[in-house]
Amino acid sequence: MESSDHTKVAILGAGRGGHALLELLHHIPSIEIVGIADRNPAAPGLERARELQIPVSANVQGLIGNHGVSLILDVTGDPEMETYLHAHKLPTVNILSGSASRLLLKLILHESKLEAELLQSEKLAGIGSFASGIAHDINNPLQLILGLAENIAVERDLTTVHEQARDIIEAVKRTSTICRDLTRYSRLASPREDMLVPVNEKLDEALKIARYASSFHDIEMIKQYQPGAAVKGNPDELLHVLVNLITNAVHAMERVGGTLTIETALHDQQIDVRISDTGCGIAPDTMHEIFEPFFTTKPPGKGTGLGLYNVKTIVDKMHGTIAVDSQIDKGTTFTLTFPDTEPSGQGCLS
Amino acid sequence: MDEFKSGFFVGGEACEGRVLVVDDEPDIRRVVKMTLQKAGYEVLEAENGEKAIETINAGENRLLLDVVICDIRMPKINGAEAIAYFRSHYPRVPLIVLTGFPDTDMATSFLRQGVVDYLVKPVEGEKLRSAVARAIEQRELARL
Repeated sequence: MESSDHTKVAILGAGRGGHALLELLHHIPSIEIVGIADRNPAAPGLERARELQIPVSANVQGLIGNHGVSLILDVTGDPEMETYLHAHKLPTVNILSGSASRLLLKLILHESKLEAELLQSEKLAGIGSFASGIAHDINNPLQLILGLAENIAVERDLTTVHEQARDIIEAVKRTSTICRDLTRYSRLASPREDMLVPVNEKLDEALKIARYASSFHDIEMIKQYQPGAAVKGNPDELLHVLVNLITNAVHAMERVGGTLTIETALHDQQIDVRISDTGCGIAPDTMHEIFEPFFTTKPPGKGTGLGLYNVKTIVDKMHGTIAVDSQIDKGTTFTLTFPDTEPSGQGCLS
Repeated sequence: MDEFKSGFFVGGEACEGRVLVVDDEPDIRRVVKMTLQKAGYEVLEAENGEKAIETINAGENRLLLDVVICDIRMPKINGAEAIAYFRSHYPRVPLIVLTGFPDTDMATSFLRQGVVDYLVKPVEGEKLRSAVARAIEQRELARL
């Protein structure tokens, strides 16, 4: 007999709907997906199911006859399937099909849209804190440009004029990268499919962004990159994760300084991305709350409380895990572990 | 990163005064120095608050420094800390803040602490020179 909070589910249909169901349901501990079936062997949900080590079948009869199944989710959209299921299912099994399964699917898609909006609003809220960093990085070169231009206006020595004009051009170029970096970061994460993302490049990009959010003064930085390390995921979302973790690390060392260590490593056919600080640490009694939505230790107006929640959401989606090791006044290390991207065990881009 | 350069540079034949520029950006020190030297000031540089304190405590600077122009966002000892130090140890040396990030609350707080001017980058040469001249003038008046 099944316990009331444990449901064994069979999914029929591995198209867009089945794929979305898989993504949602496999995160829920009380739900076990016993199998997924589709007539089309190339259906996207089947490939995802294999990755998740969920049994895949072309045989509907076999799947619904499985004695453990308590719920069949039929997202084939095929009216004949509905009739077939009602005729052949075991009496203890419930079926969700037709308009009910379409409603479920709509709810799931709606939730994923809300999730994307939540990520975006947290990111935009964070950008508010970049103002002082952006002002610093724009107004300093502007001061140089203005000073040199004022001098050129009265300078008689042509060599000096040429040299200073070139310095102005360089300063303008440096300043224009600020807008480029920020617009790239602030846009809505593209809904593109997962791809191989070079992690080291993303870490460097995240460092540039994080500099606007927090002062890197008095922070020593150590980078140890596994050359070519790559993980599978959405590059915009991974960048969001890294900016969040680096910003938190630097905030933890605010005013006192310290060492920020950023590492990528390959071990046991997994990719580790590690971000460590030597800052204030996380109090043991709050450790269990740090990934909860709206949990923050920052003063009002400084943190949304959604940063680490979103980090966890994205890392889960990438099939990764997060480990946190922290000691008060010693520092904190966040280790993200992602599955290797290549079965050969290289895990790296050539 | 440029090394801190100590020493003096006499910019004009008749020296208008000795100014210390404190900013972590070498570019800023370069243009401020260029702008003030042309007006006849001697300009010293420091790349952070710590170096600035070292400079003001070095030799004749204790007595001869006329104005300090100070950034806020800097490594080691930041501008706010350096300003607090200058105000308590060298209350007669006028301070001018030159910052990239305009912040009304911060400006009010600095002016209350006795900072004579709060300038926001980018500042025109003429405005910078007149701020320095005004600061020196006030210092002279205070001496009378």
